[in-house]
Amino acid sequence: MLTNIETKDTVALHTFMQGRRTLFCYSGPLTEDLLTTISNPVRHQLSDKETEEAVAKRVFGVFIEQAQNIIRYSYQKTQVTGDSIGTVAISIAEDGFLIEAVNIVDPEKKDGLEASLIELTVKDQKELRSLYKQRLRDGPPEDSSGAGLGFIEMARRVKKFEFDFIESENGALFVYRAWVS
Amino acid sequence: MIFEASQRTPLVELTSTSCLIRGECYPENISEWSDPVLQELENCLSGDEQEFKVEIELYYFNSSSAKFLFDFFEFLEESASGGKAISVDWRYRAEDDTMQEAGEDFEEDMTACSYKLVVVESEEED
Repeated sequence: MLTNIETKDTVALHTFMQGRRTLFCYSGPLTEDLLTTISNPVRHQLSDKETEEAVAKRVFGVFIEQAQNIIRYSYQKTQVTGDSIGTVAISIAEDGFLIEAVNIVDPEKKDGLEASLIELTVKDQKELRSLYKQRLRDGPPEDSSGAGLGFIEMARRVKKFEFDFIESENGALFVYRAWVS
Repeated sequence: MIFEASQRTPLVELTSTSCLIRGECYPENISEWSDPVLQELENCLSGDEQEFKVEIELYYFNSSSAKFLFDFFEFLEESASGGKAISVDWRYRAEDDTMQEAGEDFEEDMTACSYKLVVVESEEED
């Protein structure tokens, strides 16, 4: 395939990733099979560093939840196989790790997701725990547009998380960033 | 009955008096994996034996698998309420605060079973 990507773009990609201290990044169609394949290398990357096991496990847990969110909820699919498209990355942050995920969100679910994530940001650990247990007992919310167990679980494990919705030519991009230390 | 471990599912060993779960749990499709396990658990609990010992040692499970564990413990609670003496050991490594917290999360709902959090020594494992 002919492309107009120039050598300097390739170098820029390399420099950008290195500058951000990215350990792992995947962008494209994501499947459960692919997740199985990349799980061990990702874990290996994390244990390679002088990281406490507990921290490495939290990073891995957040990474899995983000990847599975893309697989289940990305609104952008490959044409033939219908696989979900998105980006996940793990980078070294100031005092720990930054785990990022980006995917196109279903326009009908955007408002519900936004509202329930805002709700999560103002809850303390105790409230998150009781919400987690309540969701475990009750199952997913009726309209299924709210934050499921995965987002609550991540909120419990991270030092902080941020999210945003950015308009793009393919629809609204859901951007989720979490810091673990 | 034995359900062998895979990269994303734990080992499960079920007999009429015991259940062991060890490993990691984040399968592609949780109910596809857990339905037969829960079915077999029900069979094992329906016997005449007075006692049933459960040992769980998980290193990681994802949020979808939490629902399986919730259902699993509900089965045990029902059976214990029916008169079976059920003990549960939730084993975790000393440094593993995530699995410790998970064990504590489930502990609160366990009333009929005798439920214990057990710290295990770290060992080389991969």
